[in-house]
Amino acid sequence: MSAGLLSLTVLALAIAGYILGRRRAVSVAGGDARKLHSLPSYHGQSVFLFTAVPAFILMIFWLLAQPVYIENRVTALIPNIEADDAAARELAMADVRRVASGLDLAIAQGALRQADLDTLQAGATDLRGKLAGVGVALGADVSQYTFEAAREYRALKGSLGIGMAVAVLAAAAVGFAFAWSRISVAFRARNVSESFVIAMLIGASLVAVLTTFGIVFSLVFETWHFFELYPARDFFLSTTWSPKFGGGSSLGILPLLWGTLYVSVIALLVAVPIGLLSAIYLSEYASRRFRTFVKPLIEILAGIPTIVYGLFALITVGPLLRDWFAQPMGLGNSSSSVMTAGIVMGIMVIPFVSSLSDDIINAVPQSMRDGSLGLGATPSETIRKVVLPAALPGVVGAILLAASRAIGETMIVVMGAGAAARLSMNPFEAMTTVTVKIVSQLTGDTEFGSPETLVAFALGLTLFIITLGLNVVALAIVRKYREQYE
Amino acid sequence: MNDMRIAERVVDSMESKITARGVQVFYGQNHALKDVDVDILDKTVTAFIGPSGCGKSTFLRCLNRMNDTIDGCVVKGSIKIDSEDIYDPKVDPVQLRAKVGMVFQKPNPFPKSIYDNVAYGPKIHGLTRNKAELDEVVETSLRRAALWNEAKDRLKSPGTGLSGGQQQRLCIARAIATSPEVLLMDEPCSALDPIATAQIEELIDELRSQFSVVIVTHSMQQAARVSQRTAFFHLGYLVEFGETGQIFTNPKDPRTESYITGRIG
Repeated sequence: MSAGLLSLTVLALAIAGYILGRRRAVSVAGGDARKLHSLPSYHGQSVFLFTAVPAFILMIFWLLAQPVYIENRVTALIPNIEADDAAARELAMADVRRVASGLDLAIAQGALRQADLDTLQAGATDLRGKLAGVGVALGADVSQYTFEAAREYRALKGSLGIGMAVAVLAAAAVGFAFAWSRISVAFRARNVSESFVIAMLIGASLVAVLTTFGIVFSLVFETWHFFELYPARDFFLSTTWSPKFGGGSSLGILPLLWGTLYVSVIALLVAVPIGLLSAIYLSEYASRRFRTFVKPLIEILAGIPTIVYGLFALITVGPLLRDWFAQPMGLGNSSSSVMTAGIVMGIMVIPFVSSLSDDIINAVPQSMRDGSLGLGATPSETIRKVVLPAALPGVVGAILLAASRAIGETMIVVMGAGAAARLSMNPFEAMTTVTVKIVSQLTGDTEFGSPETLVAFALGLTLFIITLGLNVVALAIVRKYREQYE
Repeated sequence: MNDMRIAERVVDSMESKITARGVQVFYGQNHALKDVDVDILDKTVTAFIGPSGCGKSTFLRCLNRMNDTIDGCVVKGSIKIDSEDIYDPKVDPVQLRAKVGMVFQKPNPFPKSIYDNVAYGPKIHGLTRNKAELDEVVETSLRRAALWNEAKDRLKSPGTGLSGGQQQRLCIARAIATSPEVLLMDEPCSALDPIATAQIEELIDELRSQFSVVIVTHSMQQAARVSQRTAFFHLGYLVEFGETGQIFTNPKDPRTESYITGRIG
């Protein structure tokens, strides 16, 4: 029974449980729902939850554990020479999986029979030809041990699949029976479903937190591998970035970090003044009608795909800056430049600053403005001295969000600033950022064994730590200077 | 504290500070205030009473042109302070508001230190030449608002950390720091407990020596306790205006009598 069909069955059982549980609750109360502690629908809900939730949790864990278990069992069948080396073992296992799926297909199409499989010898029959006949092309003849491993793989998968179906259905049935037997006039189904809901909410938030840890952990793990192959000193302090896949590359992060910071700073220099000033105009001066009309228009900027911004940088902003600024001032003749990417990225993040700041400024109580205006302050004095200080934490939050968007942006940089790692002060020169290099180190035919690919993880982790540090610092600043209104 | 104390009814001056003639206020289509004539005396406490929505706060907000900040609000008629029409195009509403201070219903100290709250007005109007003068203004304002003894050791701590009554006195100190000539109070005690209310009322009586005070209140006892003149508003009309004792003991208009005896409201 496939996982999909199984979930549908459990769901059907749970829905039946809801209807039956509800009906039973009414009949237990002698047809008068007012006698029950909880409404009949809560009794139904409790049966539904006890049927579905444990069964689904069991199924998820089973599906996670099953491949690991099968892998372990099947790897044992592969001869030691290959099993010793991680890469070779991985390759052999890929073969096994391919042959196993080929066999599945062959049986489904009638080219082989299940009964023949047990007696079949890989050498004796032209297994490669047979599998090719059903559309599974293999690189070499199937060796005897691969064939046996594949047979074992299929057998394990089949029996474990049945095992899962039985276990999950049993869990659903037990949950059903348990909840069913608890239905009575005094049963507090309302409270039970309330605590169940709380448990589910906690579970959902845990998933988010655990995922974050998972991401960090995987980065840390691969970064550790990288530093085993490449000295950390060179990574952090070297000023050249020239990866060579033949070996002897120099992988210094400094030019990339410089590019990232340079582009982000320019982007924020564009976005923060424009965004903040337009937010102030929209929230304090603009009429309601103008505001409801203009605010969505600004927010559209956030919805444009970054690749479109990239095109804008490549064909409009880049040549414009080159022809009107860089060349006349003798600062270079490249149309890809930090300035191009920075300006376009700044335009992209304007709505992050303006829209959030606008909401936050609006949230400052009107009584603050009245107080200031009542003392004879002008509207702009009121904004500068009372409204903005009160809105500061939120505004800084908005700017931080914009900064992290800018730091993480890739597409606009590739198309606007180029891909050449360089340490230079000239804003009209091509440079590149950390994210662009992460992409370029991981695309193409690569294996995760060389420092040239693993460096991507070290870059990612460094970027992560920097943005985290930025957040912490900003939070500390905000806490120190914020003016809290009630 | 003796709650039954009655303010001195004798007024110090018969000079009128504010003269309003034929004031009409519209909020869009809504005719909120109809043909109001009032003379507010200098160095006197004038109370505005009346049921909710009767226009008393609206009229108060006309006196320092705070209604300008509300969209769709139109004021007609003439309001003169010291025989100068405040709705004259030559008058800068920002300057006017420095001259006519306002204290609001809910204490609204800025989220700044106590010192900065009081220094706010003098700073934006450039009333002082140096830090020492500013310090002095802050101290005298806090003293007049009867807050100095409680606040002198914590001038740098946030004004929002004070209790409700202290916050309202801070707002009064803030308003008098710009040395206004008129002080408008829009239900200044409605968010306060009886003890804080009594303190504020005592303060109002003291402030009368320097300013002309106009107070909007829902509490008739409060109006009777603090004011020398009382105006009764109803449905946008000024029904009766006169000496406080006379309004409460011998009202001329039947509507005033019904209101103060609790029959309409």
